[in-house]
Amino acid sequence: MSDQLRNRVMLAVALLLAAIYLFPLYWMYITALKTGSSMFATPPKFLPSEPQWGIYAFVWESRNMGRYLWNSLVIALGAVSLIAVLGVGCAYVLARYRNVWVDIGLFLILMLQVLPASLMITPIFVGFSQFGLLDTPRFAVILAIAAKSMPFFVVLVRATFMSVPMELEEAALVDGNSRIGAFFNIVLPLARNGILVSAILIFMQAFGEFVYSKSMIQDIELQPASVGLNSFMGPNTNEWNNIMAYATIYVTPILAAFILLQRRIVSGLTSGALK
Amino acid sequence: MTLQIELNGVNKFYGAFHALKDINLAIEEGTFVALVGPSGCGKSTLLRSLAGLEKISTGEMKIAGARMNDVPPRKRDVAMVFQSYALYPHMTVEENLTYSLRIRGVKKAEARKAAEEVAATTGLSHLMKRYPRELSGGQRQRVAMSRAIIRHPKAFLFDEPLSNLDAALRVHMRKEIRALHDRLNATSVYVTHDQIEAMTMADHVVVMRDGIIEQQGRPLDLYDRPANKFVAGFIGSPAMNFIPAIVADDGAQVVLDFGKTQAKLAIGSRLSPGTSLTAGIRPEHIKIVAEGQGAFDVPVGIVESTGSATFITSATQPELTIVETGRGGAKSGDIIGLAIEPAQLHLFDTATGRRIEPQSGQVGIEPLRHLHLAGHAS
Amino acid sequence: MKRILASVTDGKGFDIGLVLLPLAFLFIMSGLPLVYNVVMSFQEVDMFSLGSFVRPFVGFKNYVDLFSQPETRPILLNTALFVSSSIAGQFLIGFGLALFFWMNFPGASWLRGLFLVSWVMPGLVVGAIWNWILSGDFGVLNFFLRETGVIEGNIFWRSDPNYSLWAVIIANIWLGTSFNMILLSVGLSGIPKDLYEAAELDGANALQRFFTITLPMMRSTIGAIIALGLIFTLQQFDLFAGITSGGPNNSSNVTQYWAWDLSFRQYDFAKGATISVIMIVFVMLASVVYVRSTRHEVRG
Repeated sequence: MSDQLRNRVMLAVALLLAAIYLFPLYWMYITALKTGSSMFATPPKFLPSEPQWGIYAFVWESRNMGRYLWNSLVIALGAVSLIAVLGVGCAYVLARYRNVWVDIGLFLILMLQVLPASLMITPIFVGFSQFGLLDTPRFAVILAIAAKSMPFFVVLVRATFMSVPMELEEAALVDGNSRIGAFFNIVLPLARNGILVSAILIFMQAFGEFVYSKSMIQDIELQPASVGLNSFMGPNTNEWNNIMAYATIYVTPILAAFILLQRRIVSGLTSGALK
Repeated sequence: MTLQIELNGVNKFYGAFHALKDINLAIEEGTFVALVGPSGCGKSTLLRSLAGLEKISTGEMKIAGARMNDVPPRKRDVAMVFQSYALYPHMTVEENLTYSLRIRGVKKAEARKAAEEVAATTGLSHLMKRYPRELSGGQRQRVAMSRAIIRHPKAFLFDEPLSNLDAALRVHMRKEIRALHDRLNATSVYVTHDQIEAMTMADHVVVMRDGIIEQQGRPLDLYDRPANKFVAGFIGSPAMNFIPAIVADDGAQVVLDFGKTQAKLAIGSRLSPGTSLTAGIRPEHIKIVAEGQGAFDVPVGIVESTGSATFITSATQPELTIVETGRGGAKSGDIIGLAIEPAQLHLFDTATGRRIEPQSGQVGIEPLRHLHLAGHAS
Repeated sequence: MKRILASVTDGKGFDIGLVLLPLAFLFIMSGLPLVYNVVMSFQEVDMFSLGSFVRPFVGFKNYVDLFSQPETRPILLNTALFVSSSIAGQFLIGFGLALFFWMNFPGASWLRGLFLVSWVMPGLVVGAIWNWILSGDFGVLNFFLRETGVIEGNIFWRSDPNYSLWAVIIANIWLGTSFNMILLSVGLSGIPKDLYEAAELDGANALQRFFTITLPMMRSTIGAIIALGLIFTLQQFDLFAGITSGGPNNSSNVTQYWAWDLSFRQYDFAKGATISVIMIVFVMLASVVYVRSTRHEVRG
């Protein structure tokens, strides 16, 4: 078998595997375009005969998605900003030093990374309500997400900082910079891409966050899109085309961003998880 | 002549590890100093301490007369060339060169002019807009050098700057760095593990091992009169031969112990008979003569020729390495005679490794050297 | 003052400042709740005492009550089944895919990365999609299974107590497989190629090479991935909220959903905290395994 033939066969198999794996996504997009009756047809149609493009505008309006997505955006941006401001410096220090204290700090951070949100929400909710933080529920959710996701961010960004050679910073110091100057002039610009990718990953997580928002935000005006989707899906719903349209509008921006930045996200993710 | 760098009783600890042990060093302005030693000997730690990248634990460090112990790197006014060059990858060559000036608030046009002047002398003018990743190894090396030159610092610190270059370029850059040093009338401290670099480039060589200075002095002094067995073995290539020996009954000869055979050699001085010591002979100081004509005979083991020189390893225990210029006729299995000048025989205390100075003889050489030193320093 | 300022610009003060602020934040936002959780598990907490800082201590009553409840045992068993099946499924399929994509061909790395979309999607959306796919009468999965002759009648994945947990497990395997695959790929690509060449010259066939080179060389990676799988699986909440809500009749309920359900549906915060404490201890044990298996890399 020639190399070219082998490559083609492999590629075909790979495409087939990807198609099977990504079928649920395809099903979401297709279902959204189906009419109420064709959705329940047996056998199911794998290509919609009369795509209902108007469904997006309809769901957007009727479910008030603009407000939901705005809240998701506020929460995600708030959490990412807080995490970035606090986490970058922490990651830098943990990358620069090798001693017992760094090991201990790293260990604690890895431990915090694994706490399940659905288990942490009980004490956080009670504590937050006692300190009146639930009066500003979106802010409360931002704080909770920041605490939950910062460890992951620190681990990822630390890996980025470790790839910036120490000598560059030392050269800047000898060249006449202060620690602060060297950090902002040399280290930060070189770690920029890694920080950005990590921030995007955190943003994606926060944009889809559910447990904290569901538990802490009672006011429908302030709820994010995940909570909106949850209340859309009643126990005996048959509006699946509308729900899938909602899901489509919700995830397509995330998927687009992911596919554009795929290579960087994947490499950033793997460097942090195993190193 | 003023002292540019002074170290008095400097110690450095990393936890329990004693990295620098009581280092004393005085470097005059305009001197090229080489710190040389095997890896882990503390030479890089010493250099980084001078730069302020490491804080010394005890002792005193002065640059241009000012105490530097607690001064951060940026206020020391020294320039450093790193082994990896440490060029800022997100800046062009020009930005790399002018970085230190811009930090100090030098005007943009002025910094640019300075960069152009330096680049002209180091042959980088056509590369100013390039990024470090677009340069060859040699070009990067020049940028690293230029970045140091542009500042007119109180001292240049080099951390094995040539170790990433190939052999031919390394030999070339060796001369270039030395020429630059002379032209700028600079004070330089140069760390290397390559004794040839140290010998060829420096005015003053500091040999270190395990955090202590084993010996320091002019390169040829180190070669001619190594203070101990370590320095003797470290300086010079191929390395000095060491043979266990005992002072003969007359006190004027040593008996070299080759296990099965023994050889007598005059030492040109008197030592107390029966003292056991280690004799050292440089391969290039052994002359090959006909069998029975030299001080002693050895069987030839391995013969290697580079074309210009022949390396002969004797079939004795311990082995002797002999360097002969040109192409000798010796073959493996031959018996050859070896002649050794008593003045070129080094004797070391077996237990301490310290050099044993002959009590008399070898007169006339020492004063000459001092004369030479004085002549150079003026 | 000047000294402190100098330390911030030039010395250790800069590092200490950078690291202390976020650590304080994490301590307040994660450390204190952790402690508070343990405290609440020994208290009586209901809607009325929620806002007060002083609540009656009841000793181990919450723990005793919890283990005398009839649903506790099945839910713990569900959790064990959910965790073990999810990890096994994710790992085996992930390893298979990783090995396939390891055979280099054009487009391999890009296609492999594409799989990760399952991992970046909001969990609730994944839940909604699988909820629809697993629907009893009109679900597309039942259609495929019928067409291929695996089943005769429709399986009511979400409402049949025999299948409801498996509905969530299937969705969770889909969600986690890609992440397993990517990490395993990294581990595979870290094995030096010349080891295989040496083994081949020594006469090992493909299967022998897999068992004598690949698996042993992947040991620490596999350990880390299984531990990570355990951690992620125990964090899984959105799929339960999106597919079965733990029902019917707790048949698909697991501890991490149950803890939330007790606190926020039944307002029994003390019980919710009690389960949380038990599970958090468990998760922390798993993460010790994870940290240990990646430690040589953590230390650099």
